[in-house]
Amino acid sequence: MERHAFHALGTECELLLDVEPSPDAVLALALAEGEIRRLERLLSRFRSDSELSRLNDAGELEAGDDLLAVVRLALEARERTGGRFDPTVHDALVAAGYDRSFEELAVEGAGSPAAPAGGAVRVRGRRIGLDPGVRLDLGGIGKGYAVDRAVAGLATVGPCLVNAGGDLAVAGVPAGGAWPVGLDTPAGELTLGVAQGALATSGRDRRRWRADGEDRHHLIDPATGRPADSDLVTVTVAAPTAVEAEVAAKALFLAGEQAAAAEADALGLPALLVTADGRVRLAGGLA
Amino acid sequence: MTDHVARLYATALAIVVFFLSWAGVAAHPWGHETEAKADPRMAQLDRRAEKLRQRQARVQRKLDRRFAAYRVALARRQAEIAAVQASPAPVAAPSAPSVSAPSVATVSAAPVTETRSS
Repeated sequence: MERHAFHALGTECELLLDVEPSPDAVLALALAEGEIRRLERLLSRFRSDSELSRLNDAGELEAGDDLLAVVRLALEARERTGGRFDPTVHDALVAAGYDRSFEELAVEGAGSPAAPAGGAVRVRGRRIGLDPGVRLDLGGIGKGYAVDRAVAGLATVGPCLVNAGGDLAVAGVPAGGAWPVGLDTPAGELTLGVAQGALATSGRDRRRWRADGEDRHHLIDPATGRPADSDLVTVTVAAPTAVEAEVAAKALFLAGEQAAAAEADALGLPALLVTADGRVRLAGGLA
Repeated sequence: MTDHVARLYATALAIVVFFLSWAGVAAHPWGHETEAKADPRMAQLDRRAEKLRQRQARVQRKLDRRFAAYRVALARRQAEIAAVQASPAPVAAPSAPSVSAPSVATVSAAPVTETRSS
Protein backbone atom coordinates (compact mmCIF):
# COMPACT_ATOMS: atom_id res chain seq x y z
CA MET A 1 0.00 0.00 0.00
CA GLU A 2 1.44 3.36 -1.04
CA ARG A 3 0.40 6.27 1.19
CA HIS A 4 1.01 9.96 0.63
CA ALA A 5 -0.15 12.75 2.96
CA PHE A 6 0.07 16.52 2.65
CA HIS A 7 -1.73 19.70 3.68
CA ALA A 8 -3.96 21.35 1.09
CA LEU A 9 -7.51 22.70 0.71
CA GLY A 10 -7.29 23.90 4.31
CA THR A 11 -7.10 20.37 5.63
CA GLU A 12 -5.05 17.18 5.70
CA CYS A 13 -5.14 15.21 2.46
CA GLU A 14 -4.29 11.55 2.16
CA LEU A 15 -3.78 9.44 -0.96
CA LEU A 16 -3.77 5.64 -0.74
CA LEU A 17 -2.79 3.44 -3.64
CA ASP A 18 -3.07 -0.33 -3.32
CA VAL A 19 -0.12 -1.27 -5.54
CA GLU A 20 3.46 -2.39 -5.12
CA PRO A 21 5.96 0.47 -4.81
CA SER A 22 7.07 1.61 -8.27
CA PRO A 23 8.11 4.76 -10.11
CA ASP A 24 4.64 4.82 -11.71
CA ALA A 25 2.99 4.83 -8.28
CA VAL A 26 5.24 7.62 -7.02
CA LEU A 27 4.58 9.65 -10.13
CA ALA A 28 0.81 9.12 -9.95
CA LEU A 29 0.73 10.20 -6.30
CA ALA A 30 2.75 13.32 -7.10
CA LEU A 31 0.45 14.17 -10.01
CA ALA A 32 -2.64 13.67 -7.83
CA GLU A 33 -1.21 16.03 -5.22
CA GLY A 34 -0.37 18.50 -7.99
CA GLU A 35 -3.94 18.32 -9.27
CA ILE A 36 -5.38 19.03 -5.81
CA ARG A 37 -3.04 21.98 -5.32
CA ARG A 38 -3.85 23.31 -8.81
CA LEU A 39 -7.57 23.22 -8.02
CA GLU A 40 -6.97 24.89 -4.66
CA ARG A 41 -5.20 27.76 -6.45
CA LEU A 42 -8.24 28.14 -8.74
CA LEU A 43 -11.11 27.65 -6.32
CA SER A 44 -10.02 29.02 -2.93
CA ARG A 45 -11.86 32.11 -1.69
CA PHE A 46 -8.93 32.77 0.65
CA ARG A 47 -6.46 33.39 -2.17
CA SER A 48 -6.78 36.81 -3.73
CA ASP A 49 -5.24 35.53 -6.96
CA SER A 50 -7.58 32.55 -7.40
CA GLU A 51 -9.93 32.47 -10.36
CA LEU A 52 -12.85 32.35 -7.90
CA SER A 53 -11.64 35.51 -6.13
CA ARG A 54 -11.31 37.29 -9.46
CA LEU A 55 -14.91 36.29 -10.25
CA ASN A 56 -16.09 37.47 -6.84
CA ASP A 57 -14.24 40.78 -7.25
CA ALA A 58 -15.29 41.50 -10.82
CA GLY A 59 -18.81 40.05 -10.75
CA GLU A 60 -18.31 38.31 -14.07
CA LEU A 61 -15.63 36.29 -15.71
CA GLU A 62 -14.80 34.16 -18.73
CA ALA A 63 -14.16 31.02 -16.72
CA GLY A 64 -11.77 28.13 -17.24
CA ASP A 65 -12.90 24.50 -17.42
CA ASP A 66 -12.70 23.77 -13.72
CA LEU A 67 -14.34 26.87 -12.29
CA LEU A 68 -17.07 26.52 -14.89
CA ALA A 69 -17.61 22.86 -14.02
CA VAL A 70 -17.74 23.50 -10.26
CA VAL A 71 -20.10 26.47 -10.59
CA ARG A 72 -22.42 24.41 -12.79
CA LEU A 73 -22.31 21.55 -10.26
CA ALA A 74 -23.05 23.98 -7.44
CA LEU A 75 -26.01 25.52 -9.26
CA GLU A 76 -27.40 22.08 -10.08
CA ALA A 77 -27.02 21.16 -6.40
CA ARG A 78 -28.83 24.35 -5.33
CA GLU A 79 -31.69 23.40 -7.64
CA ARG A 80 -31.73 19.76 -6.55
CA THR A 81 -31.68 20.50 -2.81
CA GLY A 82 -34.24 23.27 -2.94
CA GLY A 83 -31.63 25.81 -1.87
CA ARG A 84 -30.31 23.94 1.18
CA PHE A 85 -26.99 23.79 -0.63
CA ASP A 86 -26.15 27.21 -2.01
CA PRO A 87 -22.79 28.50 -3.28
CA THR A 88 -23.83 32.12 -2.65
CA VAL A 89 -23.24 31.88 1.10
CA HIS A 90 -19.85 33.61 0.80
CA ASP A 91 -20.94 36.84 2.49
CA ALA A 92 -22.92 34.96 5.12
CA LEU A 93 -19.77 33.02 6.05
CA VAL A 94 -17.77 36.23 6.23
CA ALA A 95 -20.52 37.87 8.31
CA ALA A 96 -20.43 34.90 10.67
CA GLY A 97 -16.73 35.57 11.18
CA TYR A 98 -15.26 32.96 8.81
CA ASP A 99 -13.39 35.57 6.80
CA ARG A 100 -10.02 33.86 6.48
CA SER A 101 -8.69 30.32 6.29
CA PHE A 102 -9.64 28.36 9.37
CA GLU A 103 -5.99 28.03 10.48
CA GLU A 104 -5.80 31.83 10.72
CA LEU A 105 -9.21 32.32 12.30
CA ALA A 106 -9.21 33.69 15.84
CA VAL A 107 -10.97 31.53 18.42
CA GLU A 108 -12.90 34.59 19.55
CA GLY A 109 -13.68 37.21 16.93
CA ALA A 110 -16.20 39.73 15.78
CA GLY A 111 -19.06 38.96 13.45
CA SER A 112 -21.41 41.07 11.38
CA PRO A 113 -25.16 41.00 10.85
CA ALA A 114 -26.30 37.94 8.88
CA ALA A 115 -25.93 38.33 5.12
CA PRO A 116 -28.54 36.92 2.79
CA ALA A 117 -27.82 34.11 0.35
CA GLY A 118 -29.59 33.00 -2.79
CA GLY A 119 -28.53 35.69 -5.26
CA ALA A 120 -28.57 35.09 -8.99
CA VAL A 121 -25.70 33.41 -10.78
CA ARG A 122 -25.83 33.30 -14.58
CA VAL A 123 -23.79 30.96 -16.76
CA ARG A 124 -23.80 31.62 -20.49
CA GLY A 125 -21.26 29.58 -22.38
CA ARG A 126 -18.05 30.14 -20.46
CA ARG A 127 -19.13 33.46 -18.96
CA ILE A 128 -20.22 33.45 -15.34
CA GLY A 129 -22.05 36.51 -14.07
CA LEU A 130 -23.03 37.34 -10.49
CA ASP A 131 -25.72 39.74 -9.37
CA PRO A 132 -24.39 42.82 -7.57
CA GLY A 133 -23.39 41.89 -4.02
CA VAL A 134 -23.34 38.15 -4.76
CA ARG A 135 -20.14 36.24 -4.10
CA LEU A 136 -19.51 32.50 -4.26
CA ASP A 137 -17.99 30.11 -1.77
CA LEU A 138 -17.01 26.82 -3.41
CA GLY A 139 -15.10 25.45 -0.42
CA GLY A 140 -16.92 22.18 0.19
CA ILE A 141 -17.97 21.37 -3.33
CA GLY A 142 -14.55 22.41 -4.65
CA LYS A 143 -12.97 19.97 -2.23
CA GLY A 144 -15.28 17.22 -3.48
CA TYR A 145 -14.43 18.11 -7.07
CA ALA A 146 -10.70 17.96 -6.30
CA VAL A 147 -11.14 14.55 -4.65
CA ASP A 148 -13.05 13.23 -7.67
CA ARG A 149 -10.39 14.55 -10.04
CA ALA A 150 -7.53 13.12 -8.01
CA VAL A 151 -9.15 9.71 -7.68
CA ALA A 152 -9.83 9.61 -11.44
CA GLY A 153 -6.12 10.22 -12.08
CA LEU A 154 -4.89 7.69 -9.52
CA ALA A 155 -7.31 5.02 -10.74
CA THR A 156 -5.21 4.60 -13.89
CA VAL A 157 -2.50 3.04 -11.71
CA GLY A 158 -4.53 0.85 -9.35
CA PRO A 159 -7.17 0.71 -6.61
CA CYS A 160 -7.03 4.00 -4.75
CA LEU A 161 -8.61 6.21 -2.11
CA VAL A 162 -8.36 10.00 -1.86
CA ASN A 163 -9.34 11.68 1.40
CA ALA A 164 -9.39 15.45 1.83
CA GLY A 165 -10.23 16.08 5.48
CA GLY A 166 -13.10 13.60 5.51
CA ASP A 167 -14.39 14.01 1.96
CA LEU A 168 -13.19 10.85 0.29
CA ALA A 169 -13.69 8.78 -2.82
CA VAL A 170 -12.46 5.38 -3.87
CA ALA A 171 -11.84 3.69 -7.21
CA GLY A 172 -11.15 0.01 -7.56
CA VAL A 173 -11.33 -2.63 -4.91
CA PRO A 174 -8.29 -3.20 -2.71
CA ALA A 175 -6.98 -6.61 -1.74
CA GLY A 176 -9.15 -6.63 1.41
CA GLY A 177 -12.38 -6.22 -0.60
CA ALA A 178 -13.37 -2.72 0.55
CA TRP A 179 -11.67 0.36 1.93
CA PRO A 180 -12.23 0.44 5.72
CA VAL A 181 -12.94 4.02 6.78
CA GLY A 182 -13.13 4.95 10.45
CA LEU A 183 -15.75 7.30 11.84
CA ASP A 184 -15.91 8.63 15.40
CA THR A 185 -19.39 8.54 16.90
CA PRO A 186 -20.74 8.92 20.43
CA ALA A 187 -21.17 5.13 20.40
CA GLY A 188 -17.48 4.60 19.64
CA GLU A 189 -15.58 4.25 16.42
CA LEU A 190 -17.49 2.69 13.54
CA THR A 191 -15.80 1.40 10.43
CA LEU A 192 -17.48 1.70 7.05
CA GLY A 193 -16.27 -0.54 4.24
CA VAL A 194 -16.38 1.50 1.04
CA ALA A 195 -16.14 -0.65 -2.06
CA GLN A 196 -17.40 1.95 -4.50
CA GLY A 197 -18.30 5.62 -4.54
CA ALA A 198 -17.55 8.38 -2.05
CA LEU A 199 -18.18 9.50 1.53
CA ALA A 200 -18.50 12.96 3.02
CA THR A 201 -19.19 14.16 6.53
CA SER A 202 -20.67 17.53 7.40
CA GLY A 203 -21.11 18.71 10.94
CA ARG A 204 -20.83 21.39 13.52
CA ASP A 205 -18.39 19.50 15.74
CA ARG A 206 -15.39 21.08 13.96
CA ARG A 207 -14.60 24.41 12.32
CA ARG A 208 -16.23 26.23 15.20
CA TRP A 209 -15.37 29.62 16.62
CA ARG A 210 -16.94 32.32 18.75
CA ALA A 211 -18.06 35.69 17.48
CA ASP A 212 -19.94 38.38 19.38
CA GLY A 213 -20.06 36.05 22.37
CA GLU A 214 -21.83 33.17 20.64
CA ASP A 215 -20.74 29.86 19.11
CA ARG A 216 -20.55 29.85 15.35
CA HIS A 217 -19.86 27.10 12.82
CA HIS A 218 -19.29 26.96 9.09
CA LEU A 219 -22.53 25.29 7.95
CA ILE A 220 -24.62 28.25 6.90
CA ASP A 221 -28.37 27.93 6.42
CA PRO A 222 -28.94 29.87 3.17
CA ALA A 223 -32.50 30.64 4.28
CA THR A 224 -31.32 32.70 7.28
CA GLY A 225 -27.73 33.53 6.32
CA ARG A 226 -26.66 32.30 9.76
CA PRO A 227 -24.93 29.11 11.02
CA ALA A 228 -27.57 26.37 10.75
CA ASP A 229 -29.51 25.43 13.85
CA SER A 230 -29.91 21.68 13.33
CA ASP A 231 -30.72 18.87 15.75
CA LEU A 232 -27.90 16.94 14.10
CA VAL A 233 -24.22 17.19 15.00
CA THR A 234 -22.80 15.35 12.02
CA VAL A 235 -24.09 13.67 8.89
CA THR A 236 -22.02 11.15 6.94
CA VAL A 237 -23.34 10.25 3.49
CA ALA A 238 -22.23 7.88 0.75
CA ALA A 239 -22.85 8.86 -2.86
CA PRO A 240 -21.45 7.99 -6.27
CA THR A 241 -19.03 10.94 -6.25
CA ALA A 242 -17.42 13.12 -3.60
CA VAL A 243 -19.22 16.17 -5.03
CA GLU A 244 -22.60 14.47 -4.61
CA ALA A 245 -21.69 13.18 -1.14
CA GLU A 246 -20.60 16.67 -0.04
CA VAL A 247 -23.83 18.25 -1.30
CA ALA A 248 -26.00 15.52 0.23
CA ALA A 249 -24.23 15.75 3.60
CA LYS A 250 -24.85 19.51 3.84
CA ALA A 251 -28.43 19.23 2.64
CA LEU A 252 -29.27 16.43 5.09
CA PHE A 253 -27.60 18.30 7.96
CA LEU A 254 -29.85 21.29 7.34
CA ALA A 255 -32.92 19.08 6.98
CA GLY A 256 -32.70 17.83 10.57
CA GLU A 257 -32.89 14.26 11.85
CA GLN A 258 -36.37 13.12 10.80
CA ALA A 259 -36.38 14.72 7.36
CA ALA A 260 -32.77 13.68 6.73
CA ALA A 261 -33.48 10.03 7.51
CA ALA A 262 -36.59 10.06 5.32
CA GLU A 263 -34.73 11.74 2.46
CA ALA A 264 -31.76 9.35 2.69
CA ASP A 265 -34.17 6.40 2.62
CA ALA A 266 -36.09 7.82 -0.34
CA LEU A 267 -32.94 8.56 -2.35
CA GLY A 268 -31.16 5.36 -1.34
CA LEU A 269 -28.22 7.32 0.05
CA PRO A 270 -26.49 5.37 2.83
CA ALA A 271 -26.19 7.82 5.71
CA LEU A 272 -25.13 7.93 9.32
CA LEU A 273 -26.66 10.66 11.46
CA VAL A 274 -25.30 11.72 14.84
CA THR A 275 -27.90 13.66 16.79
CA ALA A 276 -27.40 16.45 19.32
CA ASP A 277 -28.53 14.11 22.12
CA GLY A 278 -25.78 11.62 21.22
CA ARG A 279 -27.71 9.00 19.24
CA VAL A 280 -26.40 7.35 16.09
CA ARG A 281 -28.98 6.66 13.41
CA LEU A 282 -28.37 4.71 10.21
CA ALA A 283 -30.46 5.48 7.14
CA GLY A 284 -30.59 4.97 3.39
CA GLY A 285 -30.00 1.24 3.61
CA LEU A 286 -26.76 1.49 5.58
CA ALA A 287 -26.38 -1.55 7.82
CA MET B 1 98.79 37.60 5.82
CA THR B 2 99.37 34.03 4.72
CA ASP B 3 97.63 32.71 7.83
CA HIS B 4 94.70 34.97 7.15
CA VAL B 5 94.21 33.59 3.61
CA ALA B 6 94.60 30.05 4.84
CA ARG B 7 91.88 30.63 7.45
CA LEU B 8 89.56 31.98 4.79
CA TYR B 9 90.12 28.89 2.58
CA ALA B 10 89.60 26.62 5.55
CA THR B 11 86.34 28.37 6.51
CA ALA B 12 85.01 28.23 2.93
CA LEU B 13 85.92 24.54 2.68
CA ALA B 14 84.18 23.82 5.98
CA ILE B 15 81.00 25.54 4.78
CA VAL B 16 80.99 23.57 1.49
CA VAL B 17 81.53 20.28 3.35
CA PHE B 18 78.70 21.16 5.76
CA PHE B 19 76.16 21.81 2.98
CA LEU B 20 77.19 18.71 1.02
CA SER B 21 76.70 16.59 4.14
CA TRP B 22 73.30 18.17 4.75
CA ALA B 23 72.15 17.45 1.17
CA GLY B 24 73.35 13.86 1.50
CA VAL B 25 71.38 13.30 4.72
CA ALA B 26 68.25 15.04 3.33
CA ALA B 27 68.22 12.76 0.27
CA HIS B 28 68.20 9.69 2.61
CA PRO B 29 69.03 7.24 -0.20
CA TRP B 30 68.39 4.31 2.18
CA GLY B 31 64.64 5.25 2.56
CA HIS B 32 62.91 3.42 -0.38
CA GLU B 33 64.45 0.13 0.32
CA THR B 34 63.53 0.34 3.97
CA GLU B 35 59.92 1.35 3.27
CA ALA B 36 59.45 -1.36 0.66
CA LYS B 37 60.66 -3.93 3.06
CA ALA B 38 58.92 -2.32 6.05
CA ASP B 39 55.19 -3.09 5.42
CA PRO B 40 53.95 -5.45 2.68
CA ARG B 41 50.35 -4.81 3.88
CA MET B 42 50.56 -1.33 2.33
CA ALA B 43 51.00 -2.86 -1.10
CA GLN B 44 48.08 -5.18 -0.43
CA LEU B 45 45.92 -2.23 0.61
CA ASP B 46 46.93 -0.36 -2.54
CA ARG B 47 45.82 -3.33 -4.66
CA ARG B 48 42.56 -3.57 -2.73
CA ALA B 49 41.90 0.17 -3.19
CA GLU B 50 42.49 -0.13 -6.92
CA LYS B 51 40.04 -3.06 -7.14
CA LEU B 52 37.44 -1.04 -5.24
CA ARG B 53 37.90 1.91 -7.58
CA GLN B 54 37.34 -0.35 -10.57
CA ARG B 55 34.25 -1.90 -8.95
CA GLN B 56 32.86 1.55 -8.09
CA ALA B 57 33.30 2.61 -11.70
CA ARG B 58 31.42 -0.50 -12.91
CA VAL B 59 28.53 0.11 -10.44
CA GLN B 60 28.38 3.79 -11.42
CA ARG B 61 28.13 2.86 -15.12
CA LYS B 62 25.33 0.40 -14.34
CA LEU B 63 23.47 3.03 -12.26
CA ASP B 64 23.86 5.59 -15.03
CA ARG B 65 22.34 3.14 -17.54
CA ARG B 66 19.40 2.34 -15.23
CA PHE B 67 18.75 5.99 -14.40
CA ALA B 68 18.77 6.89 -18.09
CA ALA B 69 16.21 4.14 -18.74
CA TYR B 70 14.10 5.36 -15.81
CA ARG B 71 14.15 8.93 -17.10
CA VAL B 72 12.98 7.78 -20.52
CA ALA B 73 10.14 5.74 -18.95
CA LEU B 74 9.24 8.65 -16.66
CA ALA B 75 9.06 11.11 -19.55
CA ARG B 76 6.88 8.68 -21.53
CA ARG B 77 4.56 8.15 -18.55
CA GLN B 78 4.31 11.89 -17.82
CA ALA B 79 3.40 12.50 -21.45
CA GLU B 80 0.69 9.82 -21.28
CA ILE B 81 -0.80 11.23 -18.07
CA ALA B 82 -0.61 14.79 -19.36
CA ALA B 83 -2.42 13.69 -22.52
CA VAL B 84 -5.16 12.03 -20.47
CA GLN B 85 -5.53 15.09 -18.25
CA ALA B 86 -5.52 17.48 -21.18
CA SER B 87 -8.35 15.65 -22.92
CA PRO B 88 -11.82 17.07 -22.20
CA ALA B 89 -13.28 13.80 -20.93
CA PRO B 90 -11.77 13.83 -17.42
CA VAL B 91 -12.87 17.43 -16.89
CA ALA B 92 -16.42 16.42 -17.59
CA ALA B 93 -16.22 13.18 -15.65
CA PRO B 94 -16.78 14.55 -12.15
CA SER B 95 -19.50 16.84 -13.47
CA ALA B 96 -21.67 14.05 -14.74
CA PRO B 97 -23.52 12.19 -12.01
CA SER B 98 -22.12 8.71 -11.87
CA VAL B 99 -24.55 5.90 -12.59
CA SER B 100 -22.81 3.56 -10.18
CA ALA B 101 -24.39 3.56 -6.76
CA PRO B 102 -22.11 3.76 -3.74
CA SER B 103 -21.35 0.50 -2.02
CA VAL B 104 -20.92 1.02 1.72
CA ALA B 105 -21.52 -1.16 4.76
CA THR B 106 -20.36 -1.29 8.35
CA VAL B 107 -17.44 -3.68 8.77
CA SER B 108 -15.15 -4.76 11.57
CA ALA B 109 -11.81 -4.28 9.80
CA ALA B 110 -9.21 -1.83 11.10
CA PRO B 111 -9.65 1.50 9.30
CA VAL B 112 -7.00 2.72 6.87
CA THR B 113 -8.28 6.30 7.04
CA GLU B 114 -11.16 8.25 8.57
CA THR B 115 -13.99 10.53 7.61
CA ARG B 116 -14.93 13.51 9.79
CA SER B 117 -16.56 16.87 9.50
CA SER B 118 -14.74 18.86 6.87
